[in-house]
Amino acid sequence: MMMTDERLLDLIGAYGAEPLAWPEEERAAAEAHLAAHPDRFATALDAARALDLAFAQAELAGVPDSLAARILNDAPKPRPSGAGWAGRLHDMIFPNGLRWPAGATAAALAMGLMAGVYSAPATADDGYQAASEELVYGALGYDGLETYAEEVSG
Amino acid sequence: MAQAALVNRHMPVVWRVAFRMLRDREEAEDVTQETFLRAWKMLPDWEDRAKFSTWACTVAINLCRDRLKKKKPVLMDELPEQADAALHPEQALSQKQASDRINTLVDALPDRQKAALSLCAFEGLGNIEAAEAMGVSIEALESLLARARRKLRLELAGESGA
Repeated sequence: MMMTDERLLDLIGAYGAEPLAWPEEERAAAEAHLAAHPDRFATALDAARALDLAFAQAELAGVPDSLAARILNDAPKPRPSGAGWAGRLHDMIFPNGLRWPAGATAAALAMGLMAGVYSAPATADDGYQAASEELVYGALGYDGLETYAEEVSG
Repeated sequence: MAQAALVNRHMPVVWRVAFRMLRDREEAEDVTQETFLRAWKMLPDWEDRAKFSTWACTVAINLCRDRLKKKKPVLMDELPEQADAALHPEQALSQKQASDRINTLVDALPDRQKAALSLCAFEGLGNIEAAEAMGVSIEALESLLARARRKLRLELAGESGA
C-alpha cells in the first residue's frame, strides 16, 4: 500500500503515536515510511505520544462487583437435568406447553412414542444446549469449550 | 459455563464504554445489563450476526445515546479551539490529578467523539470494529478521533501554558 506524508500524519492524528494502534492494513507501509523519513514526523509523534501518556493515566472506576452476577441471573437457564423421563418426554412433545386441542392430539401420540424417545441417546435439548455453547464460544473467538479452557488454564 | 465466559470477557468493556459516555455509575450498570439482556434474547438466532464485541458495543452506545438525548436535548457545544502549544501535562500533575483532568476533558467532548475515543484509544478496538460499532464509515471514525485528540491536545496545552 502506498503511504504518503499526509496519510501518515492523519494516522498519527487519529490513532496516536503507537503503531499498534494504527489500522492493520496500513501499519507496515506507515512504519516503513516513518523509518525512511523520521524527521518529518517527529513533532506530530511527540504531541501524539504526550496525549497517549495522558490517556494511559486516565483511571476509571472499577466495574461494580455485583453486576456480573445480576447479568448472569438474567441469562436463560439450562433445564434441570433430573426432571425424569416423564418431564423430558413432556418437554419434547410440548416444547411450548400443553395447549388444547393441539395438546390433546399430541398427547394421544405420546404413549406410542414413549418407548422409542426415552431410549434415544440424546435429546433435542441436548443438541440445542450444545449449539448455544458453540455460538457463545464462537462469539468469544474460540473454536469451542476445549480451546477456551486451554487458553484460560494457560 | 459459556454464559459466564461471555460476561467475564465482554462485560467490563461494555461497562467502561457506557460509563465513559454517561459518567453515571448506576446508568452505566443499567445500560450494561440491558445490553446483555438483549444478547440473551438474540443468542438463539445469532448465526449471521457480527462479532459479539462489536454487537455489544453498538447496542451499548445506542442505549447511551438514547439516555443522553433525554438528559440534554440540545447538543453539547464543542469546546473552543485554542492556539497550539507545547504539551507536557504529565510533568506538572500527579497521577491522580492527571487522571482526573484527562477524564474531565474527555467527558466534555461531544458524545460521538467521546464514543470513538473510548472504543479506539481506551478499549483498543480496531478501526473497522469501532466504525461498525458506531454505525459510521472508517473515514468518519478517523475524523471523530482526530478532532477529539486535537481538542484534548489544545486543552492540555492551554492548561500547561497557563
